[in-house]
Amino acid sequence: MSDYAVSLLVRIGVEAFVALSAYLLLVIGRVSFGQQAFFVIGGYAAGIATALYGAPLAVGIMVGAVAAGVAGALLSAVMAPVGGIYFAAGSLAFGELVRVALLSFHYQVPVGADLTGPAGADGFRGVRALFTGGVSATAFMLAVAGLVALTFLAIALLLRSRWGEAMRMVGEDETASASLGVRVRRVAALTMAGAGALAGLGGGLFVHYATYMEPGHSDVMLGVHSLAYAFIGGLGTPLGPIIGVALDIGLLESFRFLAGYRMIVFGGLVMGLLVVRPRGLLDEVAVHRLSRLVAWGRR
Amino acid sequence: MVDFLQALVDGVMLGATYSLLGLGFTLIFGVLRRLNLAFGPTILVGIYAGSHVGLAWPGALWAVVAATVVAAILCGIYVERCSFRALARQAPVVSMISTFAVWMQLQELVSLFEASRTMPYPSPAWLPALTVGPILLRSDALLMWSGATAIMLALFVLLYRTRFGTAVRAVADSSEAAALMGVNVSIIGAAAFLLASTVGGLAGVLIAQSQQQVTPYFGLWATVKGLTAMLLGGAGSLPGAVAGGVILGVVETQTLWHFGGQWRDLASFALLFLVIALSPRARSEPTL
Repeated sequence: MSDYAVSLLVRIGVEAFVALSAYLLLVIGRVSFGQQAFFVIGGYAAGIATALYGAPLAVGIMVGAVAAGVAGALLSAVMAPVGGIYFAAGSLAFGELVRVALLSFHYQVPVGADLTGPAGADGFRGVRALFTGGVSATAFMLAVAGLVALTFLAIALLLRSRWGEAMRMVGEDETASASLGVRVRRVAALTMAGAGALAGLGGGLFVHYATYMEPGHSDVMLGVHSLAYAFIGGLGTPLGPIIGVALDIGLLESFRFLAGYRMIVFGGLVMGLLVVRPRGLLDEVAVHRLSRLVAWGRR
Repeated sequence: MVDFLQALVDGVMLGATYSLLGLGFTLIFGVLRRLNLAFGPTILVGIYAGSHVGLAWPGALWAVVAATVVAAILCGIYVERCSFRALARQAPVVSMISTFAVWMQLQELVSLFEASRTMPYPSPAWLPALTVGPILLRSDALLMWSGATAIMLALFVLLYRTRFGTAVRAVADSSEAAALMGVNVSIIGAAAFLLASTVGGLAGVLIAQSQQQVTPYFGLWATVKGLTAMLLGGAGSLPGAVAGGVILGVVETQTLWHFGGQWRDLASFALLFLVIALSPRARSEPTL
């Protein structure tokens, strides 16, 4: 497989985590413009663990996910009761706060001959655990793909469980679900922590593949894109956001011949898709039909 | 003390344009109950159109203003058709995602016609600066404030003193009740959109003549400022959006003056975050 195809697949895998993170919040009816913050928190934490303290790659990536999950839990203390447009704006403000704060975050430690670590606006360079560990790009891509598949399975199972039921109830109507005994605040807080950890996992994977991360990676455009992915691929299944990412990156790459008009064509496609299928390609109805088709095939 | 007063005056003048952006957001959100993320990018297209006209006919300021406002209105109509009218029966969040798709289109459109990343924008250079005691009033800031105040006054007369304005406020209050009283809700929605685009275009003229240049980042900037001004004043309230814009402007210039440029954005986002965290209204809002 060519280097280009590998890098494209890694990009799709990494962004799939941010898209799944935004999707989890959509399930509980929260529209977040701020998941990019957790992506960057996870990336910085994972990079600090491996590059500054010599943690093994897998441990470092875990540290990133946990750090972003803790950040999500902390944010939920303030934002769990907030809904609607206020949640969207609050998460946007949080994302930008993280970006601006990282611009003046310096934490450098001498590693070997030179200083390594986050250096404010210059970003965090020299995260080389992937290469010093001798992991090939293809092996890493396969690991990312495996993690995406595992995460998809975990979310799909979660959504079928009683917990998932409670999450969907909160997403439909908070008052009604509270009156039926669902602890809305707790469901929202746990979902925010989980969503943070997912985005942080993506960040930890990204920082090791790219060997660097900078405050600019907490661009609000990443957050809004990952939100849009669920609406492109479909809200009926956690496969939707993954399909959305693959479509976006795949289509944009294949539109290279349209240089200068790519976003106009792509924006138009998304706009048209939303008119025809307002809940994405794989919406609840499509998922239901597909699962019946599979059940029928088995008979 | 003089520093504080100077920053306060600068903040009020800057904040007047934020108020205009907030009013544009509030008009759309109040009437349609949907967020228009593409509001900033429509103004961006307007300013680029104005900038090109200014380069083609130097000195023709009225043509620059007309081009800016007309282009912003045309883009507003496009957004209304594609992201609001076509999705009127869907959940509000679908409209919001659709306006994001339009945003990508408008941003690319701008970069198709740009000669360079940064475009110049003409400003009326003949206006003198005023000094009141120790306070300096820059001519572009003064024009920004007086222009924004005049537009706001006109807008409030239109909204609070005419039948049309009553209808707009009735739909914003409750579209069902307004429909039962014989108000054509869909026409009022389109009209509010047009009005918001016009206000946005005029705000774009005032901001661009003060900054004297524009980059493609203006779209994101204007959307964030407008959204912040609207939310600081309580989403949906017209006088609130005016107050929110002024508060945002003053907080920005005060932090700029006392702490330096890198804290300016931090302060405005921290303010927005705190207001949302502490506002009881944010906790009772239904889902988008």
